[in-house]
Amino acid sequence: MATATEGNVVEAQVREAKGKNVARRVRKSGKVPAVVYGAGKQPVSVSVDPKQIARILHSESGYNTIFDLQLDGERTKAMIVEWQWEPIKGALLHLDLKFIAMDQRLKVKVPVALTGEAAGVKQQGGILDQVLREVEVECLPGDIPSHVDADVSHLAFGQVLRVSDLPVDRGKVRIITPADQAVAHVTSVKEEVAPTPEAVAAEAGAAPAEPEVIKKGKQETTEEGAEAAPEKAEKPEKAEKKEKK
Amino acid sequence: MLMPKKVKYRKQQRGRMAGKAWRGSELAFGDYGLKVMECGHITDRQIEASRIAMTRFVKRGGKIWLRLFPDKPVTKKPAETRMGKGKGAPDHWVAVVRPGKILFEMEGVTPTDAREAMRLASHKLPLRTRFVARHGVGAH
Repeated sequence: MATATEGNVVEAQVREAKGKNVARRVRKSGKVPAVVYGAGKQPVSVSVDPKQIARILHSESGYNTIFDLQLDGERTKAMIVEWQWEPIKGALLHLDLKFIAMDQRLKVKVPVALTGEAAGVKQQGGILDQVLREVEVECLPGDIPSHVDADVSHLAFGQVLRVSDLPVDRGKVRIITPADQAVAHVTSVKEEVAPTPEAVAAEAGAAPAEPEVIKKGKQETTEEGAEAAPEKAEKPEKAEKKEKK
Repeated sequence: MLMPKKVKYRKQQRGRMAGKAWRGSELAFGDYGLKVMECGHITDRQIEASRIAMTRFVKRGGKIWLRLFPDKPVTKKPAETRMGKGKGAPDHWVAVVRPGKILFEMEGVTPTDAREAMRLASHKLPLRTRFVARHGVGAH
């Protein structure tokens, strides 16, 4: 459980112009638009190198890495708080960076990594389902854990690992996520059996039912409308047609 | 087959499917997933066929999530009917998907099994798809 402070340096250039057209031009030039804020400073629009950011995001400490942000010849501690990926190509689109005051506690999300093979999986044939993948913690920037290791080897079928069971240095790190929230549990899945030919035939023969249509307005008005409808359907049109003939 | 329990209107117009799936484009439940790479309609039968293909392959070994639901009715006129006389009767249900959407997710299986299950599922679908895995879980 290493802490998330590393000696990375990210160079950022201030963006004077704003808006989607400018942001698009920034992306075209190989940079990523970003905004830096926090620690009582004014927010600044910047552009950064996506390779440096991707290296940080894929490092062991991940998005909780604290790095040096080189902005206008000045180095300040910062971290990534929000990022957007393009859904198909997976390119970085935008980043939110935050100035960090190393003496102030902050709230961050830390990934939970499960270790070991659960007894319920090994001996009872269950499936380990990780329900919670991140826990929110409050700590000093220098104490942010890169991840929380949770040993699940004792977890039997039907047992639940909760946030309160996570091994965290309680002196330095305070977990904000509710203590009784489930992190992982061993569950079972029903096996799908191949249907018999009779069942297939019955299913094919059955007409697909249509879903219920939600009626508009009050029930009374619709009933009145339904009663009035047949009267309307007496159709003066028909009479006209007969006349024509 | 999957279909809504209640609807406001029985029939819908076709609509457009421009753009990308900005929502539902990242893994939310499992470690592995199947991402669609083009836009289109996926019918209730195709979803069911994919689900069955996956569940039969992984047997009791894995948990599967469906991240799409066929909530759009498609109508069809009877055969050998002249044009006009109004819109046809509801025939089946489809899910409208845009590129980037995660269709299925899986957990509790090895990366090789997940990839094979997703490959079988993708053969039941009319669109190009890609296998995705959570970072550090075995995308390759």
